[in-house]
Amino acid sequence: MELDISGAKVYFTIPTEIPILGDIQISETMIVSWIVMILITGLCIWLTHDLKVENISKRQALAEMIVEQANKFVVGNMGEKFRHLIPFVAALFATSIVSNLISLIGLRSPTADLSTEAAWAVVVFIMITAQKIKTGGVGGYLKGFTTPIAIMTPFNVLSELATPISMACRHFGNILSGVVINGLIYGALAVASSALLGLLPGIVGDVLAKIPILDVGIPAVLSVYFDWFSGFMQAFIFCMLTVMYIANAAEES
Amino acid sequence: MQVQELVGIVPWTFIAQICNLFLQVYLIKRFLFKPINNMLAKRKELADAQIQEAVKAKEEAETMKSEYEQGIRDARNKANEIVAAAQKTAAVQSEELLKEAASQAAAMKAKAESDIAQEKRKAVNEIKDEIGGMAMEIAGKVIEREISEEDHAKLIDDFIANVGETS
Repeated sequence: MELDISGAKVYFTIPTEIPILGDIQISETMIVSWIVMILITGLCIWLTHDLKVENISKRQALAEMIVEQANKFVVGNMGEKFRHLIPFVAALFATSIVSNLISLIGLRSPTADLSTEAAWAVVVFIMITAQKIKTGGVGGYLKGFTTPIAIMTPFNVLSELATPISMACRHFGNILSGVVINGLIYGALAVASSALLGLLPGIVGDVLAKIPILDVGIPAVLSVYFDWFSGFMQAFIFCMLTVMYIANAAEES
Repeated sequence: MQVQELVGIVPWTFIAQICNLFLQVYLIKRFLFKPINNMLAKRKELADAQIQEAVKAKEEAETMKSEYEQGIRDARNKANEIVAAAQKTAAVQSEELLKEAASQAAAMKAKAESDIAQEKRKAVNEIKDEIGGMAMEIAGKVIEREISEEDHAKLIDDFIANVGETS
Protein backbone atom coordinates (compact mmCIF):
# COMPACT_ATOMS: atom_id res chain seq x y z
CA MET A 1 0.00 0.00 0.00
CA GLU A 2 1.18 3.44 -0.91
CA LEU A 3 0.83 6.30 1.51
CA ASP A 4 1.18 9.79 0.16
CA ILE A 5 1.24 12.81 2.41
CA SER A 6 1.63 15.88 0.29
CA GLY A 7 1.18 19.63 0.39
CA ALA A 8 -1.92 21.58 -0.49
CA LYS A 9 -3.70 20.65 -3.68
CA VAL A 10 -3.76 23.22 -6.44
CA TYR A 11 -7.27 23.61 -7.81
CA PHE A 12 -6.41 25.87 -10.69
CA THR A 13 -3.63 28.05 -11.87
CA ILE A 14 -3.89 31.60 -13.17
CA PRO A 15 -0.91 32.16 -15.41
CA THR A 16 0.88 35.46 -14.84
CA GLU A 17 4.02 36.89 -16.30
CA ILE A 18 5.28 38.16 -12.95
CA PRO A 19 8.80 36.92 -12.26
CA ILE A 20 9.78 35.23 -8.99
CA LEU A 21 6.19 35.06 -7.75
CA GLY A 22 5.21 32.80 -10.60
CA ASP A 23 1.71 31.80 -11.57
CA ILE A 24 -1.11 32.33 -9.13
CA GLN A 25 -2.08 28.94 -7.79
CA ILE A 26 -5.44 28.77 -6.13
CA SER A 27 -4.62 26.08 -3.60
CA GLU A 28 -6.51 24.20 -0.96
CA THR A 29 -4.90 26.45 1.65
CA MET A 30 -6.41 29.58 0.12
CA ILE A 31 -9.85 28.09 -0.35
CA VAL A 32 -9.99 26.72 3.20
CA SER A 33 -8.67 30.04 4.55
CA TRP A 34 -11.59 31.77 2.95
CA ILE A 35 -13.96 29.22 4.42
CA VAL A 36 -12.35 29.88 7.81
CA MET A 37 -12.81 33.61 7.39
CA ILE A 38 -16.42 33.17 6.39
CA LEU A 39 -16.97 30.95 9.42
CA ILE A 40 -15.39 33.41 11.84
CA THR A 41 -17.17 36.41 10.37
CA GLY A 42 -20.45 34.53 10.29
CA LEU A 43 -19.96 33.56 13.92
CA CYS A 44 -19.24 37.18 14.84
CA ILE A 45 -22.34 38.39 13.02
CA TRP A 46 -24.45 35.70 14.64
CA LEU A 47 -23.05 36.50 18.08
CA THR A 48 -23.58 40.22 17.81
CA HIS A 49 -26.96 40.50 16.14
CA ASP A 50 -29.78 41.87 18.23
CA LEU A 51 -27.60 43.25 21.02
CA LYS A 52 -29.38 44.56 24.07
CA VAL A 53 -28.21 46.85 26.83
CA GLU A 54 -29.96 44.93 29.56
CA ASN A 55 -31.58 41.55 30.01
CA ILE A 56 -29.11 39.95 27.62
CA SER A 57 -29.31 36.55 25.99
CA LYS A 58 -26.80 33.74 26.49
CA ARG A 59 -25.50 34.37 23.01
CA GLN A 60 -24.75 37.97 23.84
CA ALA A 61 -23.19 36.98 27.16
CA LEU A 62 -20.84 34.70 25.23
CA ALA A 63 -19.96 37.47 22.79
CA GLU A 64 -19.29 39.85 25.66
CA MET A 65 -17.20 37.24 27.39
CA ILE A 66 -15.09 36.72 24.27
CA VAL A 67 -14.51 40.46 23.97
CA GLU A 68 -13.70 40.72 27.67
CA GLN A 69 -11.24 37.84 27.42
CA ALA A 70 -9.54 39.38 24.40
CA ASN A 71 -9.31 42.72 26.21
CA LYS A 72 -7.95 41.05 29.32
CA PHE A 73 -5.42 39.02 27.35
CA VAL A 74 -3.99 41.98 25.46
CA VAL A 75 -4.28 44.66 28.13
CA GLY A 76 -3.15 42.30 30.88
CA ASN A 77 -0.01 41.30 29.00
CA MET A 78 0.81 44.52 27.19
CA GLY A 79 -0.82 47.37 29.08
CA GLU A 80 -3.44 49.95 28.22
CA LYS A 81 -1.51 51.61 25.40
CA PHE A 82 -1.81 48.53 23.20
CA ARG A 83 -5.60 48.54 23.12
CA HIS A 84 -5.54 49.04 19.38
CA LEU A 85 -3.91 45.62 18.99
CA ILE A 86 -6.86 43.78 20.52
CA PRO A 87 -8.63 43.08 17.21
CA PHE A 88 -5.36 42.00 15.62
CA VAL A 89 -4.55 39.50 18.34
CA ALA A 90 -8.16 38.32 18.41
CA ALA A 91 -8.17 37.84 14.64
CA LEU A 92 -4.87 35.99 14.79
CA PHE A 93 -6.12 33.71 17.55
CA ALA A 94 -9.48 33.07 15.93
CA THR A 95 -8.01 32.38 12.50
CA SER A 96 -5.35 30.11 13.95
CA ILE A 97 -7.72 28.10 16.09
CA VAL A 98 -10.43 27.71 13.48
CA SER A 99 -7.80 26.80 10.88
CA ASN A 100 -6.36 24.19 13.20
CA LEU A 101 -9.72 22.70 14.09
CA ILE A 102 -11.18 22.73 10.59
CA SER A 103 -9.23 19.54 9.91
CA LEU A 104 -11.83 17.87 12.15
CA ILE A 105 -14.42 18.20 9.38
CA GLY A 106 -12.07 16.71 6.82
CA LEU A 107 -10.71 19.85 5.23
CA ARG A 108 -6.99 20.47 5.06
CA SER A 109 -5.93 23.00 7.69
CA PRO A 110 -4.54 26.20 6.19
CA THR A 111 -2.08 26.06 9.07
CA ALA A 112 -0.67 22.83 7.67
CA ASP A 113 0.89 25.02 4.99
CA LEU A 114 4.06 26.86 5.97
CA SER A 115 3.05 29.82 3.79
CA THR A 116 0.25 30.65 6.23
CA GLU A 117 2.38 30.71 9.36
CA ALA A 118 5.19 32.46 7.51
CA ALA A 119 2.76 35.18 6.48
CA TRP A 120 1.57 35.65 10.07
CA ALA A 121 5.08 35.52 11.49
CA VAL A 122 6.33 38.10 9.01
CA VAL A 123 3.48 40.43 9.89
CA VAL A 124 4.25 40.00 13.58
CA PHE A 125 7.96 40.46 12.92
CA ILE A 126 7.29 43.72 11.11
CA MET A 127 5.13 44.87 14.00
CA ILE A 128 7.85 43.99 16.52
CA THR A 129 10.46 45.82 14.49
CA ALA A 130 8.19 48.82 14.02
CA GLN A 131 7.58 48.90 17.76
CA LYS A 132 11.31 48.71 18.46
CA ILE A 133 12.01 51.58 16.08
CA LYS A 134 9.15 53.56 17.59
CA THR A 135 10.55 53.00 21.07
CA GLY A 136 14.25 53.59 20.50
CA GLY A 137 14.39 55.35 17.15
CA VAL A 138 16.21 53.96 14.11
CA GLY A 139 19.57 54.62 15.77
CA GLY A 140 18.53 52.92 18.95
CA TYR A 141 17.19 49.97 16.98
CA LEU A 142 20.40 49.53 14.99
CA LYS A 143 22.52 50.11 18.06
CA GLY A 144 20.60 47.35 19.80
CA PHE A 145 22.34 44.86 17.52
CA THR A 146 25.77 45.78 18.83
CA THR A 147 24.99 45.04 22.44
CA PRO A 148 26.67 44.01 24.61
CA ILE A 149 29.73 44.25 22.29
CA ALA A 150 30.10 44.97 18.58
CA ILE A 151 31.34 41.48 17.83
CA MET A 152 27.97 40.09 18.79
CA THR A 153 26.24 41.84 15.89
CA PRO A 154 25.93 38.81 13.58
CA PHE A 155 24.49 36.74 16.37
CA ASN A 156 22.06 39.44 17.29
CA VAL A 157 20.90 39.69 13.68
CA LEU A 158 20.52 35.91 13.63
CA SER A 159 18.53 35.88 16.83
CA GLU A 160 16.35 38.66 15.51
CA LEU A 161 15.64 36.69 12.36
CA ALA A 162 15.11 33.54 14.36
CA THR A 163 12.08 35.07 16.01
CA PRO A 164 9.68 34.87 13.05
CA ILE A 165 11.22 31.65 11.75
CA SER A 166 10.81 29.90 15.07
CA MET A 167 7.29 31.21 15.51
CA ALA A 168 6.24 30.04 12.07
CA CYS A 169 7.98 26.70 12.26
CA ARG A 170 6.72 25.91 15.76
CA HIS A 171 3.11 26.35 14.76
CA PHE A 172 3.52 24.73 11.40
CA GLY A 173 5.46 21.77 12.78
CA ASN A 174 2.84 20.98 15.36
CA ILE A 175 -0.03 21.07 12.92
CA LEU A 176 1.89 19.23 10.21
CA SER A 177 2.87 16.53 12.67
CA GLY A 178 -0.82 16.03 13.36
CA VAL A 179 -1.54 15.72 9.63
CA VAL A 180 1.33 13.30 9.08
CA ILE A 181 0.59 11.15 12.09
CA ASN A 182 -3.12 11.05 11.30
CA GLY A 183 -2.27 10.03 7.72
CA LEU A 184 0.04 7.31 8.97
CA ILE A 185 -2.48 6.04 11.49
CA TYR A 186 -5.27 5.95 8.93
CA GLY A 187 -3.00 4.12 6.48
CA ALA A 188 -1.70 1.70 9.04
CA LEU A 189 -5.14 0.92 10.41
CA ALA A 190 -6.47 0.34 6.90
CA VAL A 191 -3.67 -2.12 6.25
CA ALA A 192 -4.24 -3.78 9.58
CA SER A 193 -7.97 -4.14 9.08
CA SER A 194 -7.56 -5.52 5.58
CA ALA A 195 -5.02 -8.03 6.86
CA LEU A 196 -7.29 -8.97 9.75
CA LEU A 197 -10.50 -9.30 7.76
CA GLY A 198 -8.64 -10.96 4.87
CA LEU A 199 -8.28 -13.92 7.17
CA LEU A 200 -11.98 -14.58 6.78
CA PRO A 201 -12.59 -17.31 4.20
CA GLY A 202 -14.12 -16.91 0.77
CA ILE A 203 -15.69 -13.91 -0.84
CA VAL A 204 -16.85 -12.42 2.45
CA GLY A 205 -13.24 -11.91 3.53
CA ASP A 206 -12.33 -10.36 0.19
CA VAL A 207 -15.17 -7.82 0.41
CA LEU A 208 -14.67 -6.95 4.09
CA ALA A 209 -10.92 -6.60 3.60
CA LYS A 210 -11.59 -3.65 1.32
CA ILE A 211 -13.40 -1.79 4.12
CA PRO A 212 -10.93 -0.18 6.58
CA ILE A 213 -13.12 -0.99 9.55
CA LEU A 214 -10.41 -0.15 12.13
CA ASP A 215 -10.27 3.41 10.85
CA VAL A 216 -13.52 4.06 12.69
CA GLY A 217 -12.98 5.35 16.20
CA ILE A 218 -9.35 4.78 16.96
CA PRO A 219 -7.96 7.87 15.14
CA ALA A 220 -10.42 10.01 17.09
CA VAL A 221 -8.48 9.28 20.27
CA LEU A 222 -5.28 10.60 18.73
CA SER A 223 -7.20 13.51 17.30
CA VAL A 224 -7.90 14.69 20.83
CA TYR A 225 -4.25 15.50 21.19
CA PHE A 226 -3.15 16.32 17.65
CA ASP A 227 -6.14 18.37 16.63
CA TRP A 228 -7.82 19.66 19.75
CA PHE A 229 -5.02 20.10 22.25
CA SER A 230 -2.31 20.98 19.79
CA GLY A 231 -4.68 23.23 17.87
CA PHE A 232 -5.58 25.24 20.97
CA MET A 233 -2.04 25.29 22.32
CA GLN A 234 -0.41 26.48 19.14
CA ALA A 235 -2.95 29.21 18.58
CA PHE A 236 -2.48 30.35 22.16
CA ILE A 237 1.32 30.16 22.00
CA PHE A 238 1.45 32.09 18.75
CA CYS A 239 -0.68 34.89 20.16
CA MET A 240 1.14 34.87 23.47
CA LEU A 241 4.50 35.22 21.71
CA THR A 242 3.14 38.00 19.50
CA VAL A 243 1.91 39.89 22.51
CA MET A 244 5.08 39.29 24.52
CA TYR A 245 7.50 40.23 21.75
CA ILE A 246 5.64 43.47 21.00
CA ALA A 247 5.37 44.35 24.68
CA ASN A 248 9.08 43.67 25.14
CA ALA A 249 9.90 45.78 22.12
CA ALA A 250 8.01 48.65 23.72
CA GLU A 251 9.87 48.30 27.02
CA GLU A 252 13.40 48.27 25.67
CA SER A 253 15.77 51.18 26.22
CA MET B 1 -4.11 17.00 -9.52
CA GLN B 2 -1.08 19.15 -8.97
CA VAL B 3 0.08 19.48 -5.39
CA GLN B 4 2.38 21.90 -3.69
CA GLU B 5 5.43 21.05 -1.61
CA LEU B 6 4.62 19.69 1.82
CA VAL B 7 7.05 22.09 3.45
CA GLY B 8 7.61 25.24 1.52
CA ILE B 9 6.54 28.82 1.06
CA VAL B 10 4.40 29.54 -1.96
CA PRO B 11 4.67 33.28 -2.75
CA TRP B 12 1.06 33.82 -3.75
CA THR B 13 -0.31 31.89 -0.82
CA PHE B 14 1.98 33.87 1.41
CA ILE B 15 0.66 37.18 0.04
CA ALA B 16 -2.90 35.96 0.11
CA GLN B 17 -2.55 34.94 3.76
CA ILE B 18 -1.20 38.35 4.75
CA CYS B 19 -4.18 39.97 3.02
CA ASN B 20 -6.52 37.46 4.62
CA LEU B 21 -5.13 38.22 8.06
CA PHE B 22 -5.71 41.95 7.71
CA LEU B 23 -9.10 41.40 6.18
CA GLN B 24 -9.93 39.17 9.13
CA VAL B 25 -8.72 41.86 11.53
CA TYR B 26 -11.07 44.32 9.87
CA LEU B 27 -13.97 41.87 9.85
CA ILE B 28 -13.58 40.87 13.46
CA LYS B 29 -13.27 44.52 14.45
CA ARG B 30 -16.31 45.48 12.43
CA PHE B 31 -18.55 42.58 13.39
CA LEU B 32 -17.48 41.67 16.91
CA PHE B 33 -15.60 44.41 18.72
CA LYS B 34 -17.41 47.44 17.38
CA PRO B 35 -20.98 46.32 18.20
CA ILE B 36 -20.00 44.85 21.55
CA ASN B 37 -17.95 47.87 22.59
CA ASN B 38 -20.73 50.21 21.47
CA MET B 39 -23.19 48.23 23.51
CA LEU B 40 -20.88 48.19 26.53
CA ALA B 41 -20.42 51.95 26.24
CA LYS B 42 -24.17 52.38 26.07
CA ARG B 43 -24.62 50.20 29.13
CA LYS B 44 -21.99 52.20 30.99
CA GLU B 45 -23.77 55.42 30.01
CA LEU B 46 -27.04 54.02 31.26
CA ALA B 47 -25.48 52.95 34.55
CA ASP B 48 -23.86 56.36 34.98
CA ALA B 49 -27.14 58.08 34.24
CA GLN B 50 -28.91 55.93 36.80
CA ILE B 51 -26.28 56.63 39.41
CA GLN B 52 -26.54 60.35 38.74
CA GLU B 53 -30.30 60.16 38.99
CA ALA B 54 -30.02 58.35 42.29
CA VAL B 55 -27.61 60.98 43.60
CA LYS B 56 -29.97 63.72 42.51
CA ALA B 57 -32.95 61.98 44.11
CA LYS B 58 -30.99 61.58 47.30
CA GLU B 59 -30.10 65.25 47.32
CA GLU B 60 -33.72 66.17 46.78
CA ALA B 61 -34.76 63.89 49.59
CA GLU B 62 -32.17 65.49 51.85
CA THR B 63 -33.46 68.95 51.02
CA MET B 64 -37.03 67.88 51.65
CA LYS B 65 -36.02 66.25 54.89
CA SER B 66 -34.31 69.38 56.15
CA GLU B 67 -37.31 71.44 55.08
CA TYR B 68 -39.64 69.15 56.97
CA GLU B 69 -37.41 69.22 59.98
CA GLN B 70 -37.36 73.01 59.84
CA GLY B 71 -41.14 73.01 59.59
CA ILE B 72 -41.53 70.66 62.52
CA ARG B 73 -39.12 72.76 64.58
CA ASP B 74 -41.09 75.93 63.71
CA ALA B 75 -44.37 74.26 64.63
CA ARG B 76 -42.98 73.07 67.91
CA ASN B 77 -41.68 76.53 68.74
CA LYS B 78 -45.02 78.06 67.91
CA ALA B 79 -46.84 75.51 70.03
CA ASN B 80 -44.51 76.26 72.91
CA GLU B 81 -45.15 79.96 72.47
CA ILE B 82 -48.89 79.43 72.44
CA VAL B 83 -48.74 77.28 75.53
CA ALA B 84 -46.57 79.82 77.33
CA ALA B 85 -48.90 82.66 76.36
CA ALA B 86 -51.91 80.66 77.51
CA GLN B 87 -50.24 79.87 80.79
CA LYS B 88 -49.39 83.53 81.29
CA THR B 89 -52.93 84.62 80.49
CA ALA B 90 -54.35 81.98 82.77
CA ALA B 91 -52.08 83.08 85.60
CA VAL B 92 -53.06 86.71 85.14
CA GLN B 93 -56.73 85.82 84.98
CA SER B 94 -56.61 83.62 88.03
CA GLU B 95 -54.79 86.34 89.95
CA GLU B 96 -57.44 88.84 88.91
CA LEU B 97 -60.15 86.44 89.89
CA LEU B 98 -58.53 85.89 93.23
CA LYS B 99 -58.13 89.58 93.76
CA GLU B 100 -61.74 90.23 92.80
CA ALA B 101 -62.90 87.45 95.04
CA ALA B 102 -60.85 88.83 97.87
CA SER B 103 -62.20 92.35 97.37
CA GLN B 104 -65.74 91.00 97.11
CA ALA B 105 -65.21 89.04 100.26
CA ALA B 106 -63.82 92.12 101.96
CA ALA B 107 -66.80 94.17 100.77
CA MET B 108 -69.17 91.51 101.97
CA LYS B 109 -67.40 91.38 105.29
CA ALA B 110 -67.54 95.14 105.66
CA LYS B 111 -71.22 95.18 104.82
CA ALA B 112 -71.88 92.38 107.25
CA GLU B 113 -69.99 94.21 109.92
CA SER B 114 -71.92 97.42 109.30
CA ASP B 115 -75.15 95.42 109.28
CA ILE B 116 -74.16 93.85 112.55
CA ALA B 117 -73.32 97.22 114.01
CA GLN B 118 -76.66 98.61 112.86
CA GLU B 119 -78.51 95.64 114.18
CA LYS B 120 -76.67 96.01 117.42
CA ARG B 121 -77.54 99.64 117.61
CA LYS B 122 -81.14 98.86 116.80
CA ALA B 123 -81.23 96.14 119.39
CA VAL B 124 -79.62 98.41 121.95
CA ASN B 125 -82.23 101.09 121.21
CA GLU B 126 -85.03 98.59 121.50
CA ILE B 127 -83.61 97.22 124.67
CA LYS B 128 -83.15 100.78 125.90
CA ASP B 129 -86.82 101.57 125.22
CA GLU B 130 -87.98 98.32 126.75
CA ILE B 131 -85.74 98.62 129.75
CA GLY B 132 -86.87 102.22 130.11
CA GLY B 133 -90.51 101.12 130.05
CA MET B 134 -89.83 98.29 132.47
CA ALA B 135 -87.88 100.55 134.76
CA MET B 136 -90.71 103.07 134.69
CA GLU B 137 -93.19 100.43 135.56
CA ILE B 138 -91.01 98.97 138.26
CA ALA B 139 -90.23 102.39 139.69
CA GLY B 140 -93.86 103.46 139.46
CA LYS B 141 -94.86 100.39 141.37
CA VAL B 142 -92.09 100.85 143.93
CA ILE B 143 -92.75 104.44 144.73
CA GLU B 144 -96.32 104.46 143.57
CA ARG B 145 -96.23 107.95 142.44
CA GLU B 146 -96.04 109.69 139.15
CA ILE B 147 -92.82 111.09 138.25
CA SER B 148 -92.87 114.16 136.27
CA GLU B 149 -92.12 113.83 132.63
CA GLU B 150 -88.89 115.65 133.16
CA ASP B 151 -87.60 113.42 135.87
CA HIS B 152 -88.76 110.53 133.89
CA ALA B 153 -86.61 111.28 130.88
CA LYS B 154 -83.69 112.14 133.08
CA LEU B 155 -83.86 108.91 134.94
CA ILE B 156 -83.97 106.92 131.73
CA ASP B 157 -80.99 108.67 130.32
CA ASP B 158 -78.98 108.08 133.48
CA PHE B 159 -79.90 104.50 133.41
CA ILE B 160 -78.99 104.10 129.81
CA ALA B 161 -75.74 105.76 130.40
CA ASN B 162 -75.06 103.34 133.22
CA VAL B 163 -76.08 100.42 131.05
CA GLY B 164 -73.93 101.69 128.21
CA GLU B 165 -71.01 101.86 130.58
CA THR B 166 -71.48 98.36 131.84
CA SER B 167 -72.12 96.73 128.49
